[in-house]
Amino acid sequence: MLGRSWKFTANAIGVSTIALVAAGALGSAAAADDILRIGAPLALTGGLADEGKKQEAVWQLWLDKVNDAGGIEVGGKTMQVEFVQYDYQTDGKRAGQLAEKLITDDEVDVLMAPFGSGHTKIVAAVAERYQVPLLACVASSVSVYDQGFKYLFGTLAPNTGMTESMTAYFKEQMPELEKVAVYGRDDVFPKAMATALANSASAAGLEVVYDQLYSVGTMDHSAAVSAIKAAEPDWVYMTGYTQDLILGRKQMEDLGVTAPIVTMVTGPAYREFTEGLGDLAEGVTSSTWWHHATAYTDAIGPWTSTAAFYADFVEAFGIDPDYVHGSCAAAADVLVHAVQQAGSTDSQAVRDALAETEVLTFYGPIDFGENGMNQGRDMPIIQVQDEEIKVLYPAAIAGAQMKLVD
Amino acid sequence: MPRRALALIGLAAWIGLLAATPWIADNYTVRVAITIAMFSAMALSWNFIGGFTGYPSFSTAAFFGIGCYVGALAQRNGVPMVLAWTLATVSVALFAAALGAIILRLKGHYFAIGSIAVVEVVRLIVSSWGSVTGGGDGLNVPLLQGSPDWVAAKVLYVMLAIMLAAFAATVLVDRGRLGFGLRCINQNEDAADMVGIDTTRFKIAAYALSALFCGTVGAVYASWVGYIDPTDSFSILLTVKVPVMALLGGAGTVFGPVVGAGVFVLLEEFFWANFLEWNRAILGGIIVFLIFFLPGGILRLDYRRLLRRTLRQRETGQKSPEAAE
Amino acid sequence: MDILQIFVNGIVLGALYACIAVGFSLVWGVLNVINMLHGSFIILGGYLTFFAWFYLGLNPILVLPAVALLLYILGFALQYLFINKVVTAPVLTTLTLTFGLDMILYNLMTVYFTATPRRVTLDLGSIDLAGIVMPVDRLLGMGLALLLTALLYLVMRGSTIGRAIVAVRMDRQAAALMGIRVNRIYAVTFGIGALMAGAAGAVFAMVFPVTTNLTGVFLGKAFVICVIGGLGSVPGALVGGLALGVIESFAGFYLGPQHAITVGFLLMLILLVVRPTGLVGVKGYE
Repeated sequence: MLGRSWKFTANAIGVSTIALVAAGALGSAAAADDILRIGAPLALTGGLADEGKKQEAVWQLWLDKVNDAGGIEVGGKTMQVEFVQYDYQTDGKRAGQLAEKLITDDEVDVLMAPFGSGHTKIVAAVAERYQVPLLACVASSVSVYDQGFKYLFGTLAPNTGMTESMTAYFKEQMPELEKVAVYGRDDVFPKAMATALANSASAAGLEVVYDQLYSVGTMDHSAAVSAIKAAEPDWVYMTGYTQDLILGRKQMEDLGVTAPIVTMVTGPAYREFTEGLGDLAEGVTSSTWWHHATAYTDAIGPWTSTAAFYADFVEAFGIDPDYVHGSCAAAADVLVHAVQQAGSTDSQAVRDALAETEVLTFYGPIDFGENGMNQGRDMPIIQVQDEEIKVLYPAAIAGAQMKLVD
Repeated sequence: MPRRALALIGLAAWIGLLAATPWIADNYTVRVAITIAMFSAMALSWNFIGGFTGYPSFSTAAFFGIGCYVGALAQRNGVPMVLAWTLATVSVALFAAALGAIILRLKGHYFAIGSIAVVEVVRLIVSSWGSVTGGGDGLNVPLLQGSPDWVAAKVLYVMLAIMLAAFAATVLVDRGRLGFGLRCINQNEDAADMVGIDTTRFKIAAYALSALFCGTVGAVYASWVGYIDPTDSFSILLTVKVPVMALLGGAGTVFGPVVGAGVFVLLEEFFWANFLEWNRAILGGIIVFLIFFLPGGILRLDYRRLLRRTLRQRETGQKSPEAAE
Repeated sequence: MDILQIFVNGIVLGALYACIAVGFSLVWGVLNVINMLHGSFIILGGYLTFFAWFYLGLNPILVLPAVALLLYILGFALQYLFINKVVTAPVLTTLTLTFGLDMILYNLMTVYFTATPRRVTLDLGSIDLAGIVMPVDRLLGMGLALLLTALLYLVMRGSTIGRAIVAVRMDRQAAALMGIRVNRIYAVTFGIGALMAGAAGAVFAMVFPVTTNLTGVFLGKAFVICVIGGLGSVPGALVGGLALGVIESFAGFYLGPQHAITVGFLLMLILLVVRPTGLVGVKGYE
């Protein structure tokens, strides 16, 4: 599937090292300090393989773009960029092991965190110990960032911003909105979102009529869906992995839940969700950290505008990018920017430059807060309409009016 | 016995080599050494119940996971690290003794299923008891302070110490009355009972021993990685991997688990580095190979037994020719 | 009213659960093998059904027999080539062997099918009977599950091969002396176990998303159901499945979905200790 076309040839020890040196460049003659080495443990097999492959694919696209331009300018010199990646098989123990290998064996200058808050935490502990800067592009739970780590930076904004703006927006669209049912997977990110939404909703004066979590390994939601139906909510908010959400949506339909607003996080942000649901996906809303309809221009990095990134991405893969692609490519941009500011790949200098960062990327503004997390801003609310993802909010990039589920 | 002495020298050299890694190799290699020590300790532990006693236990991950959580929770509540490790060890041993009193009444397949179910039940309880355990969020554990080299060396020596303790316990049990009793139970539990062995107490002791060191390993592991969550702490893969290691080396032998854990971890490293996409299948292949070609483990390439097997096959073959087709 | 709906949810789900467990129970009962491959067999059946529907436009119900047959061949071959060699060995050996085989099958599936959840989107709607809502595809799945289970029951009771399987289960030695080819019977039994898993997979593809992430979940359900219902009998698997479905449904409603599966596993542990023969008890496999 996706990422398949980006198979890397394994070298002698089987590491999928991508060292694309632009043709005509000095190549092997380049000294080690003229190369920026970025390490990334990725889940290329196992449960999170689809997500890991997205990271792999977009970084390859980014790297090609950078190397086509001959590398990056740092302190008047041209520096080449290398990505060193390993598959950690969606196994937390291995993620930590690989982070250590990348730092000690491959001597990478900086690390990129894998998908998800849990595995980011494991890698962050290793990076902190070695004082190597770590950029997390797909971890948004505040619990990842509240440990006082100095070398951890995240490009996603905190969940709470998302749930507050969503509650406000829905109340505005549907003034009679009163009752909300919250149903979340008991896992780092989905749980954080469910909790945040329940809090935002009560704060906004909505009645939370159902607020439950389901365990990892739940294969049926009929009990919860029946309970939700009995509570007669106007808004159902469910979080989980794509497989959970597909089943949850289907069971709501089957058992006759008729809430006019159905939100699934982060379901519609992924193509797999709409494909797996067909017609049932219609009208499902979600929030996401980024959507390609945003139109930032004059950005740093190889893509100076969102449109430029979108065009390249669609040309390469034939599908629309989602927030994972956007956030991870932007993380690479920010990293290069920090190296340029620091004037070297020295980890301390790069860390300090990252902490000072305040730039605009094609993905949006990046400004790391005290805890290393990107500052909140208006994050898009999206809806599936006629099998397409439409942006409802913020108004500046909205492409459609919100529809209620019938 | 010269063979035994030779084996002891080999073991000492092996531990010496592992202990030397911080001085002669990079931290990644040290991490591999830590992994080897960790799994050796767990495989040695499993050997008490699975090897000596012959009970197919698959609850290693439950012990490891509880160790992780008790250690982490104690540390988060201000208990000094070493005390937290001790606390985890004691709690896990007590847990295993209590649990053993219940599930050791089961035999064979029922025991196997029951012991796997324990892993799942504990995971679910830890995961749904969010107010204490953090639930699916997992727990952050205070990071070990110090330079990476120092931390790696420290963890390595602690893990090696646990492995040595487990080995010492194995030797003591092997030579003592307990080991004799457990072997009797393995051979024929009813007969053992009749000749006056308190089978229940012996089995519980073996089960608790099989848990104890896993608890310590879990607590140290939690301090080392700095973050634990239910899915990784109570993994079914871990619970099957450890017995496979012991089988690979030779279940019920003194040195087998150490050999098995070492070989398995190194093989895993090698295959994983060379065959990215297929490493899981290759590990499965190793297991299949092991079952067919090394049924008694590396240390037990027992030719008499092989001969006996062939003879037995021929015997059944005579009874029903179809069976051999 | 609520209670009735929850009960119906549980029964419908329980019939699907029974479908998961019947093949697993048969293999355990007759071969004394805990088949760790079972979850992957179900998912493989689901994938085959999905691809037949997605690429060839074939209705899952039409594909079901073909998928079941393919799985039968796979199961027969695996048993004949591998598991038969160690079938008399202790549980540790057989369990580990099937676990190893499962790792290979799982790896093959993730590489060729990826972990992306897929589903046959034949949404058939629901029936509303006096306020009790029943999804049509689940009812259909329930019907198929019951039909398959009944068929297996009849085969076990009525056919020569079924009687031979029961004979081998009761006394391997005696059966061999009676001229039954024990290894062949084992392979047939394992094949039937895989066949039932494949059929379950075909049914599930209409109801649940198909993804390799679920293999462990299905296997866990099979464990619980077998222990609750009692090992090695078709009625046992049926009773166990229905019981688990209803228990999970009520626990999910009253205690919260977070505790639903915990309750199932706890019940299983308690039953293991208190009444290892399960609710139905062990007799011949019939």
